Order: sequence, then structure tokens, then C-alpha cells
Amino acid sequence: MLFNSLEFLIFFPTVFILYWAFSKDYKKQNIILVIASYFFYGWWDWRFLSLLIFSSLLDYYVGIKIEDSKTEHKKNWLLVSLCSNLGLLGVFKYFNFFTDSFAELMSGFGWQVDALTLNIILPVGISFYTFQTLSYSIDIYRQQLKPTKDLVAFFTYVSLFPQLVAGPIERASNLIPQIEKHRTLNSTLIRTGVFQVFIGLFRKIAIADNLGIYVDTVYANNDIHNASTLTVATIFYAFQIYYDFSGYSDIAIGTAKLLGFKFNQNFNLPYFSRSLTEFWRRWHMSLSFWLRDYLYISLGGNRKGIVITYRNLLLTMLLGGLWHGSSWNFVIWGGIHGLFLSFEKYIFSTFKIKTFNAFGYVYTFAVVVFSWIFFRAQDFHSASNIVHKIVSLQFGTLFIGNINTFVNGLLLLCIGLCFDLNLFKSDIALENYGVKFNTLKLSLFVSVLIIMLCLFYSTSENFIYFQF
Amino acid sequence: MLKPNIILVLKLTVLVLSISYLVDKVIFYSLNTLSDNVMTGQSIGKLNQFLTVKDSVDCVVLGNSRANHHIDVSLLNTSAYNMGIDGTGIAYISALTHSLDKQHNQLVLVHIDTKDFFDLNYNGSDIKTLSAKFNRDKNITASLKQSGLISPLQYFYYTINYNNKLTGILKNYFQPSYNYQMYNGFDPLILSEDQQKIRDEILLKQENEECSQLTTINPIALNYLEHIKEDAEQENKTYIFITSPIYNDTCPEDNLKLKKLLTEAGLTYWDFSNLFKDLNDTSLWKDETHMSAFGAEQFTLHLKQKLESISY
Repeated sequence: MLFNSLEFLIFFPTVFILYWAFSKDYKKQNIILVIASYFFYGWWDWRFLSLLIFSSLLDYYVGIKIEDSKTEHKKNWLLVSLCSNLGLLGVFKYFNFFTDSFAELMSGFGWQVDALTLNIILPVGISFYTFQTLSYSIDIYRQQLKPTKDLVAFFTYVSLFPQLVAGPIERASNLIPQIEKHRTLNSTLIRTGVFQVFIGLFRKIAIADNLGIYVDTVYANNDIHNASTLTVATIFYAFQIYYDFSGYSDIAIGTAKLLGFKFNQNFNLPYFSRSLTEFWRRWHMSLSFWLRDYLYISLGGNRKGIVITYRNLLLTMLLGGLWHGSSWNFVIWGGIHGLFLSFEKYIFSTFKIKTFNAFGYVYTFAVVVFSWIFFRAQDFHSASNIVHKIVSLQFGTLFIGNINTFVNGLLLLCIGLCFDLNLFKSDIALENYGVKFNTLKLSLFVSVLIIMLCLFYSTSENFIYFQF
Repeated sequence: MLKPNIILVLKLTVLVLSISYLVDKVIFYSLNTLSDNVMTGQSIGKLNQFLTVKDSVDCVVLGNSRANHHIDVSLLNTSAYNMGIDGTGIAYISALTHSLDKQHNQLVLVHIDTKDFFDLNYNGSDIKTLSAKFNRDKNITASLKQSGLISPLQYFYYTINYNNKLTGILKNYFQPSYNYQMYNGFDPLILSEDQQKIRDEILLKQENEECSQLTTINPIALNYLEHIKEDAEQENKTYIFITSPIYNDTCPEDNLKLKKLLTEAGLTYWDFSNLFKDLNDTSLWKDETHMSAFGAEQFTLHLKQKLESISY
């Protein structure tokens, strides 16, 4: 089920009323949440609920076993969790990628190997809930978390519908304590939650989806467009993916607030960053912090000398890229980020500075936009074609396509950017912005957003991050 | 949940619904006033002009962008209006044929493409382009309701009917795109040098289309064809279905199947898909599916001859 669907418009108020009808018994609320979440997920494809249940049961059991085992056996139980979760992810997400790549590599040596390609459907959200369950087991192994003995609470943690299919990747240390206690809904949560849900809807349905029409048209025929068109389309894509994913996160965080949960911030105006290092502290924060805590630090972080630090950075970003999808383009995207992060680390340590000056905004945006070419292009050939055209400065008349769509996209982007600029100047996070409004002002603001949505909504099949 | 919070949730819900309902109506009726005076542009003006002239001309051309760019109605021997609109399909055409005056003697040229019938993903959503006339034009409203594609939200928020049309309306209200009194609906594609280069690249890269999956007829398209057939059976109308040329049609099977379908339904169908195939003249084209102004002229002259052969 999509947040921007009519079904969700019926689903959420129903869950909301039922859920708060049992506000005195949080255990019953948890049962309602699990049923609702499974319904939410099953609406897409009920068969894959079995995977979700398997993953939840496994890590629930492993968590208890890690805690109860003697020190020498703890690692074995952690390996069970790692192998099972990453194994599932490997089969469903990367099997065809690795067999294809192997076959291609072999053919490079002159050996013909028939790639064993299976018709595998990628279960929605598997990358997100796998990381969530993994972090639970690792935290227990590191003795940073006590396992829960409440099976329903754990199932709620893994499946909680606002974050189930595209994050934010919530840590057990933040969410499970909230699940295992009485929850309340106060005026602040209502105001900030409602505000964030509607901002998220506007970001996704109005801004991102309108920009997406132009981007899709240009990228589908990238070979016939000139540098001007490809540059504009890539910049549009930079904002499309930002408003698409941050919009999704806003709806998720806002919805969770209305259920009495506090999720961590997932986006914090990433394009207002003066370095790539800062960008990754503001972009998809739940993933970047996950990669930092469970991959970069596990590899040794910056504790084993400068060379190993660069290696770790690069490796983390390469794997972070691969997490997004089974394509070499994502690996290249991660590689570009890894290289520039290493470069920044070198510059910052050499010149003893913490970040760049105002020029850093331009530099960061340019690097990020450049890397999006690989992220968005259909394949490596298309990406290299686009890069070649842009770099060789083959500018010319800008392709506009449907003038209404183009103007709408531009207009809505300006509105989105003005709002972001205002947020940036105000020093108030979007998550808390709703408290500035009294009931009447909030109603007015939401009403205007609704009318804007009516006038400018554009239909998109999915949220971009559903494919990851 | 505490009582004050229940009250806050209820208060917010009622306020949002009431305010948004009111704002929606104010904007909707303002847009009605504006859009009724817009006669240019594809978002609403062309439809307004069509609704004004449809029962006074002797020939109307209905269809998608290919109809719009390929049939120069000024070359025909009769007063005519070209109502080809980008991105529309058989559902949209059906709504327009339904809106024609049954008493008026008229030639209706319906431009169709085989993909309109063999694309199984087609759901008739092109009819939603007419939403601006929902509850404002009797025939179009009936067609929209019959399509089943009207969202329940449209009964509460009327501005949805103007979805993605606002900028077009405002632009054409304050600055009309052309003199609509001199406009007959035909938009020739005149190519700049840059566009000619792009065209040549596109045509060079033409690959053979996969034909095997194009043999099942879309039931929704078929249903709309039935509706058009009902309109075509009226005494005062002559309906001719046509497919204009495409650069390289490598799938003759679907054309033959479509021809069989229309012939069995008692409808006249002229398939010109391969009319220019052997000429190898790229100046006739803008891309693989759209002809240039020169191509449109050549095609319309051919069509005119064919119409004359049946005394039109």
C-alpha cells in the first residue's frame, strides 16, 4: 500500500481510531499494529509476508540466544543472524547480478559460461527490514542492547508500517523501548505529525512526481539530447530523488508521531551542505549512520592508520552503493562518494580545517549531482554517454517537452526550495516546525497544501526508494 | 488518548475539511470563469474551441498528436476542425464523438493507432484529460462517469478537475498563444536545423519492433470502440477510421488484425501506416511516429484524394 493512495486514506484513519481506542493497553495496541502492518505489506504481495515473519522470528530467537550464551558462543549466534539475513538479501536482490557479472567476467577471459538467471521478484522493503533486524542482533552482541522477551513487541519493531518498506531504518535501541511502554498522544505530536505528513505528501506528489516526468523523458532518450537538456534533467533528478525520499520519510515520521512514536530524523536539508562529509550527515541519515556504526566501524574505522581509514571509507561507500541496487552503476555512485569523502578527509586533516567555506556548497552540490547520473541512468553505457555529452560541453537548445509539465515542475521546485531555505535560516528542524502553528493556522496551511495537491498532483507508480 | 487531544484531532479534522472545501470552491469557480474565456492552448483552450465549433463544421478530426500534426484540414474540400490532442487515445475520442450533435451532417475522421488496441496496459485514463468539463458539460460528464475513472475525491474537491491545467489556463488567459479565430486545430511540425539532426539520428537508430505480444486486443479499448460504433451508426454521420503513416512499421500483423476487427464491426478503416515506407525521404518526418509539416501536407493531399473517391 502506498502512502499516496486512496487505500491509505481509508487505512490510516481506521488504524488510528482502533489503535487509540486501546490506549490504556499498549500490548493490545502492539497487536493492532502488527496486524495493520502485515495488512499494509500484504496489500502489495501477501506471499512475501512469510519472509518478514521468518526474519523476525529468527532475530528474535538469535537475540535471546546471544544474550544467554557463553561468550565463546555469542559470535556463532551472531553469524547465524548475519548469514541468514544477508543470505536472504543476497538471493532476492543480488543473485542475478552476481551470476550475470560472473558470466561476463568469464567471457572476458574467453570462457563461455551460461549465466543462471532466475526470475526473482525483489520483495519490497527487504533491504530496510534486513538492516533493521541485523542492527538488533549486532547491538545485543556488542552489549549495547538487551533483547526483548516480548515476541509481539519485536514483531512490531520489525514490521511497524510507517517505516516498513522504505525506512527510516530505526534502531532497536530507539524503537523497542517505545514499543514496550505506554504511549501517549499530545498536542505537540499531533501538530508536528500532521504538518510533516502533509509536507511529505506535497514534496512527493507535487514536486518529485512533476520533476520526474521531465527526467524520465530525457533519460529514456539520453542519446538524442544535448548537454543543456541532460544537465537540467540531472539537476531535476537531484531534486526529484530528494523530494521523493525525504517526502516519504516525512510521511513515515509524521504518521509514526500520530501513533505516539518518535522516529529519528532522516533528512536534514542535505543540499545545504558545505562538504560531502556534511552531506552524508544530512542525507538518508538512518542509512549513513547504520553504515558508519555497523560497517565502517566494524572494518576498523579510522583507528588503524590513514591507509586503512581510506580503504574503509571507500569500501563502506561501495557497499552502500550496492545496497541501493544490484547494478554496477550503484557501485560507481558509491565509489564516487567514497573517493570524494577520502579526498575531504585528506584535505581536512592536512589543512586542519573542519569544513569548506561558502564555495563548499557549490562543490558539494556539483559532486552530488554528477554522481546522480550513475544512480539514475539505465545502465553504464547511458551514464557514460550522458557524462561524455555534458563534459564535452555539447550545449544547445534546451528540450522542454510538455510546456505545462516543465513549468509546473519548475514552479513547484521553487516553492520547495523557498520552504527549505526558510527552514535552513530558521534553525528549526522540519520535525518540530508544526509547533509554530496554532490549530487554525495549521488547518489553513494544510488546506492550502491539499488544494495545491489537487491542482498539481502527478501520478507515479511508486516511491523511488521502494526499488531498493 | 486524553480528552483534550481527542478534541484537538476532531477540531483539526473539521477545520481542515471545512477550510479546504471552501478554498477549493473559491478556486474552482474562479478557474471556471477564467477557463471559459480561454480559447488557445492544448490544456483547455482547444477543447473550448472544439465545443464551440463542433456542430458547425462539416468535418472533425479526432485523435492523438499524430492526428493533430498529420491532417492539415485546410487542404480538405470542406469546413473542418482538427481536434487531435497529445497523449489521448480511444477513450478520449469516444467522449468527443458522444458530444457531437446527432442531427448535424458530418464527416468524422477518427485517427487511431494499433497500439491503442494492443497495449494491454491501456486503461482509458486519457479520458481524464476532459475532467475540466466534469459536471459542466452534459455529454462529457456522462462519458467520464461511465469510464469509472472519476476519483471519489473529485466529488468533494472540485479543483482536481483542473489538475495540471492551472499554469496553462493562466498563461493562455493573459497571453493567448495564437489567434484562435484563424486556427483550425492543425499544428504543423516545422523543424529547426538542430531538430533535423536529432530526427536523422532517431531514424537511423530505428530497430525492428517486437511484434509477438501485440496480438491480444485490450478489452477497455474494444469497449470504447463499441461506444464509437454506436455514434457512427447515426444517420447523419459518416465515420472513417484512419491510421496515418509511420516511419517503419515492421509489424503488419496487428494492422491486419485491427482492420479485420473494424471491418467485421461494419466500420470503414483506411490504414496508411506504410504509405511513405519505400520513399526513404527523411524530410517527411519529425521522428519515427510524427511527420513534419511537409509530410503532413503530402499525407493530407493523399487523404483528400481518397475522400474525393467516395465523394467527400
